[in-house]
Amino acid sequence: MSTPLIRNERFVQIAAPLLVGVLVLLLWQISVMAFDVPKYLVPSPVDIAESLVTDFSSLFGALLMTLKVTFLAFVISVIAGVAASLLFVQSKWIEVSLFPYAVLMQVTPVVAIAPLIIIWVDDTTWALTICAVIVAIFPIISNTTLGLRSVDPNLLSMFRMYRTSRWQELVRLRIPGALPYFFGGLRISSGLALIGAVVAEFVAGTGGAKAGLAYMILQSGYNLQIPKMFAALILITLTGIILFAAMVWMSDRALRNWHESALKVEH
Amino acid sequence: MMTANKVTPLNPAPEPETETSDAEARASSRPLLQVEGVDKVYANGTVALKGAALTVKQGEFVSLLGPSGCGKSTLLRIMAGLGEVTTGTVKWWEQDYDVVGSKGCKLAFVFQNATLMPWARVRKNVRLPLDLEHENSAESEKKVDDALEMVGLKGFDESFPRELSGGMQMRASIARAMVTEPDLLLMDEPFGALDEMTRNKLNDDVLKLKKENGWTIVFVTHSVYEAVYLSSRVVVMAARPGRIVDDIKIDKPYPRSPDFRISTEFAGYCRQVSQALERASGMGESKENC
Repeated sequence: MSTPLIRNERFVQIAAPLLVGVLVLLLWQISVMAFDVPKYLVPSPVDIAESLVTDFSSLFGALLMTLKVTFLAFVISVIAGVAASLLFVQSKWIEVSLFPYAVLMQVTPVVAIAPLIIIWVDDTTWALTICAVIVAIFPIISNTTLGLRSVDPNLLSMFRMYRTSRWQELVRLRIPGALPYFFGGLRISSGLALIGAVVAEFVAGTGGAKAGLAYMILQSGYNLQIPKMFAALILITLTGIILFAAMVWMSDRALRNWHESALKVEH
Repeated sequence: MMTANKVTPLNPAPEPETETSDAEARASSRPLLQVEGVDKVYANGTVALKGAALTVKQGEFVSLLGPSGCGKSTLLRIMAGLGEVTTGTVKWWEQDYDVVGSKGCKLAFVFQNATLMPWARVRKNVRLPLDLEHENSAESEKKVDDALEMVGLKGFDESFPRELSGGMQMRASIARAMVTEPDLLLMDEPFGALDEMTRNKLNDDVLKLKKENGWTIVFVTHSVYEAVYLSSRVVVMAARPGRIVDDIKIDKPYPRSPDFRISTEFAGYCRQVSQALERASGMGESKENC
């Protein structure tokens, strides 16, 4: 006998939030129409959809630019963050000496240092990428370091009984054990890379060929093209959701056989 | 010692065997482990061990028994070379720790929990010590196969630890200790978290494996019954500070069948050990009250 759709966990996971979204959009559309709200104050979902179609070429170009900065920042954050974590676990002294500077980067608002970076770095793409890296790198460093340090002490004792090298200890024990923490860091960092890219674009206010979605939002605001503003905002949100979903998928693939976070519990 | 061509699964019922007295073997064997006047004081000032002295000879099964916090596990870890002593000496095969790992001087440790790598399949977990020693020959694969067969986990080598029961995980942990063909096996309350039936079964398995592989075993436990059933000697410890207060010989030859558990002789030994344990607990309390 086939299982009713309502009992299918996967179906419910997708359908339930989708239904809420559709209801909200409907309510929004009806409210705007009922109260005759002007487009330049609150556009209706239909106005936004129209803008997505009519302004597609400019919005798509801006999206690509934002995506480029986001991905560059995310990849650099992952590589540099993991490298820093590996360095930190080599010695408590290294960690104690350098970790406060990682915290410093995290607590300094990117909007405060972005103008400096934009002055110092000629290439706009790289200037924006550096700003986004500053925002996105900390969760990777923090989570991965925590994971590399959270080793089962008995397993560590066993490795030491066999007089293993630090390399063996790292590769066979610390790195596999740190994977759940690392993927947790990835989930946060992917979203922060996007936020960092958008915030940096706002500060840089870059137009022309290097205009990102943030510039589109600024420009549309100045021109009272509020539907286009919302359309750019939706693209940013969708990008964030897709990035997060990709990280969840990767994490599940990597951990599904052994880690509680990715295991399917059967009742 | 485990041999590559001799495999006897654990599951069949024990065959009748010729009785041998451990006491006789002990008299002629050399010491594998000598702990002399060992004190262990932690950085916070806690005295975990005071003047611990113990000699373990080849072929012996020595249980360390005592109340919680009496330093049993600390002593066992020191025996494994996993903990520094504050004062005193420890000798392995009458030499320094450097000798551990060389031929005829192999040591393995079974922890309180199975301590398996959750991300690795059973086979990879069992062959871990061989990987760490860079043993990648076909013979090492056979050692893993033999160890899995001996502990009754053949067919589960591609499972993940989470897919096994607590007892099976502990068997995998014992198989991991076996692959290195240890001469001295240190077990830190390995069956403490298991139900009584599984525990009794694993007790029989350990005795069988000990006989087949010629292991010398030091075993930490909280259970008087387990200590008496398994051991040739029960070393009773007292707490605060942790110290050895009694060393009771269980003069019952191996192999020991489950019938031993219901014999009057067993009850007698249990009473003797329990009384020693009560005295040891009283010592700890009176010290504390002072």
